[in-house]
Amino acid sequence: MNLVALWCYLTLAAFAAGCVLKALRYAAAPMHLRWELYPLPAGSGGFGGSYFEEVDWWLRPQRRSRLAELRVIAAEVFTLETVRAHNRPLWLPSLAFHWGLYLLFALGAALLGAGVLRAAGAPVTAVLDGGVLLSAWGAAGLGLATLGALGLLARRTLEPRLRRASAPADFVHLVLLLAVFAASWGSWLGADRHYAGAAAFAAALASFSRAPGMSAWTAAQVVLLGLFLAYLPWSHMAHFFTKYFTWHSVRWDDLPADRRHAASVRRTLMLPAGWSAPHVRRGGGRTWGDVVGGGEGEKR
Amino acid sequence: MSDRPHPPRVADIGVPSEVLSPVDLQALVPLPPPYDGIDARTIWKELSAERRTEVDASLDGVSALSLARPADGDGERRQLEALAAGLVRLLGRDDNWAFLQPLLLSLEHCTHCQTCADACPLFVGSGGNEVYRPTYRSDVVRRLLARYGPGGNPIRAALAGRVELNWTTLARLAELAYRCTLCRRCMQSCPIGVDNGLIARELRKLLSQELGIAPTDLHAKGSEQQLAVGSSTGMSPAALRDVVEFIDEETSERVGFKVSTPWDREGADVLLLHNAGEFLSWPENPGAFAVIMQQAGISWTLSSELVGYDAVNYGLWYDDAQFARVATRQAEIARRLKVRKVVIGECGHAHKALAVVADRILGPDAVPRESFAPFLAAIVGSGALRLDPARNDFPVTLHDPCNLARGLGIVEAPRRVLRAVAPRFREMTPHGVDNYCCGGGSGFAIMSPNNFAAWRTLVAGRMKFRQVLEAFADEPGPDVPKYLCAPCSNCKGQFRELLRAYGAWERSRLTYGGLVELVVNAMTDVRPGYLEWEPH
Repeated sequence: MNLVALWCYLTLAAFAAGCVLKALRYAAAPMHLRWELYPLPAGSGGFGGSYFEEVDWWLRPQRRSRLAELRVIAAEVFTLETVRAHNRPLWLPSLAFHWGLYLLFALGAALLGAGVLRAAGAPVTAVLDGGVLLSAWGAAGLGLATLGALGLLARRTLEPRLRRASAPADFVHLVLLLAVFAASWGSWLGADRHYAGAAAFAAALASFSRAPGMSAWTAAQVVLLGLFLAYLPWSHMAHFFTKYFTWHSVRWDDLPADRRHAASVRRTLMLPAGWSAPHVRRGGGRTWGDVVGGGEGEKR
Repeated sequence: MSDRPHPPRVADIGVPSEVLSPVDLQALVPLPPPYDGIDARTIWKELSAERRTEVDASLDGVSALSLARPADGDGERRQLEALAAGLVRLLGRDDNWAFLQPLLLSLEHCTHCQTCADACPLFVGSGGNEVYRPTYRSDVVRRLLARYGPGGNPIRAALAGRVELNWTTLARLAELAYRCTLCRRCMQSCPIGVDNGLIARELRKLLSQELGIAPTDLHAKGSEQQLAVGSSTGMSPAALRDVVEFIDEETSERVGFKVSTPWDREGADVLLLHNAGEFLSWPENPGAFAVIMQQAGISWTLSSELVGYDAVNYGLWYDDAQFARVATRQAEIARRLKVRKVVIGECGHAHKALAVVADRILGPDAVPRESFAPFLAAIVGSGALRLDPARNDFPVTLHDPCNLARGLGIVEAPRRVLRAVAPRFREMTPHGVDNYCCGGGSGFAIMSPNNFAAWRTLVAGRMKFRQVLEAFADEPGPDVPKYLCAPCSNCKGQFRELLRAYGAWERSRLTYGGLVELVVNAMTDVRPGYLEWEPH
């Protein structure tokens, strides 16, 4: 195993661990109070998708549709619908950027997947060994992602309002990605246009065998991509999977209180409340149960 | 919106200056004629030089909190330490279990794409004042957390961006927490689901629960008074019963038959919960409810117990402890009365508080809570009331209260009522879940210290007022009376100020009121003319 392969294993593991840890962090957060935002996709009611539109709503069956949620999310993922609707100047560069990334991640996953299947003795189409199709696939992904990233960077740099509202991290992310793309273009143009080398490298990674030699461009590409992947879950770019929580677990969470919620609230009322303001501490209570129960208010 | 000469950056919040980003009266979104000729300076109120020495107004020249600089360095240091401690608590599983997950998600995933900016009526209405940008406040919080929050370190701080933790930052950030109406229109347009409204709300919570900083009208005169004497209006149960007795007499006279409000009836079908402000400011609203309940044959009651006759829950906007205290007392009163359901009157935030946010605290066995809107739509749809829509032969438009539309998804129910009683109903653009906030949301309508009321009228309510005028663009003049239906007490409070400040009665014969008043005005067994056309 050479150093580049070792780097790959480490950064891929860091990426996976980062995603899992972050997802667990949100999933294991205490039950939150309802904070949904309408409209909801489908729902049981009328225009706003709300059961509150109905009289005696608690006596009626609640209708929810995962399919309707998926339709909304699919429109968000594949067409960036809200950006199109509310921020048209940013829509095209952002759409190109995201589609480029989808294509590139799909290419990487296909090559790794082929390697895994092959290592397991399963038949794999020769198309994934490298060739014109992979070359076009990679070029399309790289082209869209590069154009998109350059467009986003240009807007962020040249548009005063966007520049003012940006954090240093926003520039760091784009520059890091552009560095990955530059190395990838170097590799595509000068060393591995048909991704045969990439396919062989992915197969070696999947089978834990000795990785083949690679050009400096390709090595740079792998190193930078690994760095990006290891960092990705800890940046705001993690929205590619945390969107599940922001939309499904917060924005669309209109489940009325049930026994599970009640049990959870009973537990949380036992938690210590550390806030220091006098009105919170009134009555000397230490737990949330004490805080809720204590406090007649001060007469003016 | 044109760019201002030197718009502040996020890092500038901690850089001392007289005013970081003053309200620019010339930049405000223009109004249609004849309101375009109104000089905003006639509505604006500049803080006096003396007052500026007493309270901090260095954010935008406005003071909502009347925050005074501590007398010495020790006082400042203690407040800054409390702010840093509060930042840690805000991300603590024990201290902030109620909102930790949504807060973390919103803090950690903003890409600063600014898709939310044009959705914000304050930012747009102000002509693009940089500090009202939805992400500005959130980014100050993010930067402070990256440096002083749990896991804060220099690398995270460098990536997030610089901000200095000093008293100038604290004072401006505290004011900034009250430059957002929590309407959550920004979240609706966010492709990721980041909720800048929630961040503003949680910032208010930190200030209240850790530093004891909250607007007097919301806390001392608001939730504290409600818990102590029964209502944020200061009305005791005895005073309330006197007031309602008077309302019953007045209503009986107006409608031509005896109307009486039942009190504390155990086992009634409905406990009606009004915003107590209605009894004092808009008595025709609880009066109309009483008429409808009586004529529709509903078994109902009001409660005269402390907190049980005031639906408001200001804690929703700034403090979890106060929020939970009020909500649990209201639910307990409903349980003791053994009513089948609580119907929440025309008060948007009370809906959000009692039906949604408190739901999991109250649990599955609590008395169910229902909005007046479907309740009223069902009564109207059942034919229990004899209605003649021709009695409402004037243009009507509907303001969707944010908490009803975006907060509960109630859009169609009030329209079902309006279609039955208001033949000249027309929509605003946009409306429903896409509505603009009236500008009085999140407590602003009841806050008027220093020059905050002038700011609320000129900046926070600007987009809504324009939208209302545009809804009546085909009949703009004072020759046609017009009705702005606003089924929410706080929204009505804001419209009262807006219409008064712009002279909308004189210029457009424009008045406002609730939904139930329109229904009663259309009832054929009621003496004609329940609505009184006069300036409010």
